[in-house]
Amino acid sequence: MAAMTPKERVKKFMKREPVDTMPIFSGMGMVTVQAIDKMGIRFAEVHGSAEYLAKSATLSAEIFGFDSVIVPYDMCTIPEAMGRGCSTYADAEGILYPTVPTKWENLDTADIKPDWVSTYRMPVVEEALTKLVSAGKYAVGGWVLGPFTLGGQVIELDLLLKGIKKEADKVQSFMKKMTSVVIDVAKRYQALGVDYMTIREMGSGTDLLSPRMWKQLIQPYLREIFEAIESPKILHICGGTDLIVEMMNDCGADALSFDQKNNLVETRRKIGNDILLLGNFDPYGTLCQKDASEVPAIIKGCIDAGVDAVWPGCDIWPDVKAENVEAWVKTAREFGKQPSPAVGRI
Amino acid sequence: MVSEERRSEILKNLSEGVVEYEEDRVKEYSNMALDEGVDAYDAIMNGLAAGMEIVGDLYDRQEYFVPEILMCADALYAGLDILKPHMKIDVSSGVKGQVVIGTVQGDVHDIGKNLIKMMFDVAGFTVHDLGRDVPLEKFAEEQLRTDSEIVALSAMMTTTMMGMKKVIAMIKEKNPDVAIMLGGAPVTKDVANLFGADGYAESAGNAVQEAIKMIGQLRKLKEKGVSA
Repeated sequence: MAAMTPKERVKKFMKREPVDTMPIFSGMGMVTVQAIDKMGIRFAEVHGSAEYLAKSATLSAEIFGFDSVIVPYDMCTIPEAMGRGCSTYADAEGILYPTVPTKWENLDTADIKPDWVSTYRMPVVEEALTKLVSAGKYAVGGWVLGPFTLGGQVIELDLLLKGIKKEADKVQSFMKKMTSVVIDVAKRYQALGVDYMTIREMGSGTDLLSPRMWKQLIQPYLREIFEAIESPKILHICGGTDLIVEMMNDCGADALSFDQKNNLVETRRKIGNDILLLGNFDPYGTLCQKDASEVPAIIKGCIDAGVDAVWPGCDIWPDVKAENVEAWVKTAREFGKQPSPAVGRI
Repeated sequence: MVSEERRSEILKNLSEGVVEYEEDRVKEYSNMALDEGVDAYDAIMNGLAAGMEIVGDLYDRQEYFVPEILMCADALYAGLDILKPHMKIDVSSGVKGQVVIGTVQGDVHDIGKNLIKMMFDVAGFTVHDLGRDVPLEKFAEEQLRTDSEIVALSAMMTTTMMGMKKVIAMIKEKNPDVAIMLGGAPVTKDVANLFGADGYAESAGNAVQEAIKMIGQLRKLKEKGVSA
């Protein structure tokens, strides 16, 4: 039987149908400098062009043998369209991701204009996704920040964090606004034909919030989002997650993704084998810092701990060592021929 | 001269006011401390900072998380704003150092940076806060301009952390004796070593822990009569 195409492999995997081998994909950015350099552009230029986004994602997949492509790379497209601006650091040396320069001063002044979703770079991202979907070879990933993390992009995070205690009603009302933004964007991307959707509620781990607060402030809105969007849908949270794994598993996602701080063995025990588990190597340490000879043990460690696919814990830092990425792909393919806890093999 | 009993009562209220994040109570007892002759530095270190040490324990025990720490910090600052102008300028009243602090270009998150800043404020440092999203060369310029002994850099994301390496190289080239502290979620001991830094804290919570430990050390030294 012929090997699956990258798109087939990811699509079947996300439905928990048997695959030929473990797919190499992610719900976070996977663009590499090797692709950017090959295009002869600077990193700062890639974010504003649908053509550059689609091409850099595709080239990264081609160079390293990824099964998926995912855009955009920065977290500012939605805040920018909500009127908060975007710093692109066009003249900075090296790689700097765009940031949001201005925030709403308080929870009361957060005012989202009706036509925001078709402004600034939102059409650029949608055009890039359309190009990638129509190309057909690779699985196309869409992602949106979760409502709390998105909120932290458009309002001072400390106002939000202190507001939870001091102005709970205002914070809840603000979270409702952010939730409808997340749902709107995720549905638009799904309507374009993306193959899976990751909701990245990155900033809500227990490094910041107590489990009790997570249950009150984060879980209800994530449930609302996962109820509103189509499968396949993934929930990703960075940082401390061991104390909220069960609550994350109760949000309605088809898969959970964690970074390197998560105890995967314990997590698998808690969530069982009926849900996809993704994670959890440190992308900067593994792909940029370590010697390539150290990478296979890290990847094998993730597989042995019970993941269904080895995901980086966050965006890949684009300036990867090529040989380290190759070691990730090779190791996951080799040891991924065996069934994983939630997905069989053909 | 305030009685020991009254001094203890005022310090206890300052400490509890920080722990319970009661800004009004902290303000009230800070003013009382000044009116009744409690030394301002005593009130800061054995009232406000002592309260923050308890906050650190609560964070360790996972009773408090970052939202609570931020509110405790607000309460601490409410007292510090009142008491600090009345600190006596003498060698025994805390550290006389200067620090340049900021979040590196490309990073607009500054909770950890602000918590570390609090530690320096409490300990009596002159703090030159460059804010966030700070162009890299600005750190070196400000260090040279102020002749600060410490430069504290913060980055919350892996994607901005690399800027720290350039800043450290710039500063160490011009002045190898400057102590460099790094902070932020992606910063590990290995990264700090690799970049040539002198110290690190990996998260806002850890930053406050480190800060509280330093204040605790300072308080112990003072109790033993050693000038910092």
